[in-house]
Amino acid sequence: MQSGNYSHLIRIILGIIVFAVFGFIGKKLLTPESFGVYGHFRADAIEEEAAREIRHWTNASCLSCHAYEAKIHLKGRHKTISCEFCHGPYADHVKDGKKTGTLPVKKGEDMKILCMRCHNKAIQARPGEVIKTVVMPDHLTSQKVKETHNCSQCHHVHAPLMYIEKARKITGFDAKEAL
Amino acid sequence: MDNKISMDNKISDDRRSFIKKVLNGTIGGSLLLVFSAGAEIFKSPEDIPAQIPSLKNKEYEITKAHFAFIVDITKCIGCGSCCVADKREYNVADGYYRTWVERYLKDYDDNVYVDSPKGGLEGYQSPREDIDVKVRDTFFVPKLCNMCKEPPCVQVCPIGATFQTPDGFVLVDHKRCVGCGYCIQACPYSVRFLNPVTKTAEKCSWCYHRVRKGLQPACVSVCPTGARKFGDLNDENSEVSKILKGPGVITVLKREMGTFPGLYYIGARREVI
Repeated sequence: MQSGNYSHLIRIILGIIVFAVFGFIGKKLLTPESFGVYGHFRADAIEEEAAREIRHWTNASCLSCHAYEAKIHLKGRHKTISCEFCHGPYADHVKDGKKTGTLPVKKGEDMKILCMRCHNKAIQARPGEVIKTVVMPDHLTSQKVKETHNCSQCHHVHAPLMYIEKARKITGFDAKEAL
Repeated sequence: MDNKISMDNKISDDRRSFIKKVLNGTIGGSLLLVFSAGAEIFKSPEDIPAQIPSLKNKEYEITKAHFAFIVDITKCIGCGSCCVADKREYNVADGYYRTWVERYLKDYDDNVYVDSPKGGLEGYQSPREDIDVKVRDTFFVPKLCNMCKEPPCVQVCPIGATFQTPDGFVLVDHKRCVGCGYCIQACPYSVRFLNPVTKTAEKCSWCYHRVRKGLQPACVSVCPTGARKFGDLNDENSEVSKILKGPGVITVLKREMGTFPGLYYIGARREVI
């Protein structure tokens, strides 16, 4: 009978055990703490994403200080437009209740480009029931004003029909009917 | 005599304090009128009136929350407010877009022409001049993360850096992502890109940080026509619940991929992919 030489088996088993122990310790060390709470990912990453800085606030937050603009903006046709779209994000203006920067106000040609982002009739994809669009030089000539006129000379940017309705009330004259 | 003087003093003292009190009252009152009680100054995002009312003054239950995003193509005017807000909210690098707006044109032969100059970031300032066809139908399609219920990007991530939260958001763990780009290839909607600064995968998160605080995603908050809608499906009275329960035709993109998107479209023609 051959002597029971199992050293090769013992070596394999020892090898497996050493591998398993190192593997186990390695996995323990390398796996992030909150891994696997909800699934195959680091659960803390959810809270990290949730703690990201909020840069855009709401119109209510802007208008809570700018009471004069609020009075006009909330009554006009532009009430659904976000302050921050034209003026930039709140976070660039206020931090912890203190003013940290001045937001830009679009003027001149920049303003015209801004208006035409929405109101350009040449872009056919705009549904007429959603937005009133104009063809630009034509609108100026049909309203009988100079072609160099800027939008804000007739339209208040926060309430586009404010001046027009006021003029209509004073004069009793409707430009549309007259045309 | 002595008595009289003290009496006089008392009267004048009283008079003085009376006038003081009256003056204080008037000044105080007029100040209150100037700083009217209605003008409440919000010092932190938590103070702002919540845009998702069902989340206000309630502990956020991550395992129960359920949201939906609806894009109404019939209302989109292609102004690009959403793209601008998104770029500003996340300081997205130039040339990369977490959300963008596409312009579709269809002619009478059913040829479809799609373009999206700068992702719609600068709006659509001019009509398409490179094609000479009679346009039958034309519309804008805003695109963003579909927040699939079966997200392929999560499936392919080798290290669990892209994951689906219990409340149904697909997010990226920027600390773990190694930037291998598998998820970018796996996404059927091409919403992912490699952030050129951090070299990690990035995508639209439906503004998870805002939603958790009861605010709408930045793009929804700035949309002037209400083409983008976001809301709580656990709230029966929310706009999205009503729309999804209603009779309107609601579609999802690439349904055949079996990804079950949480982003729904109203008015999407069959050509929209």
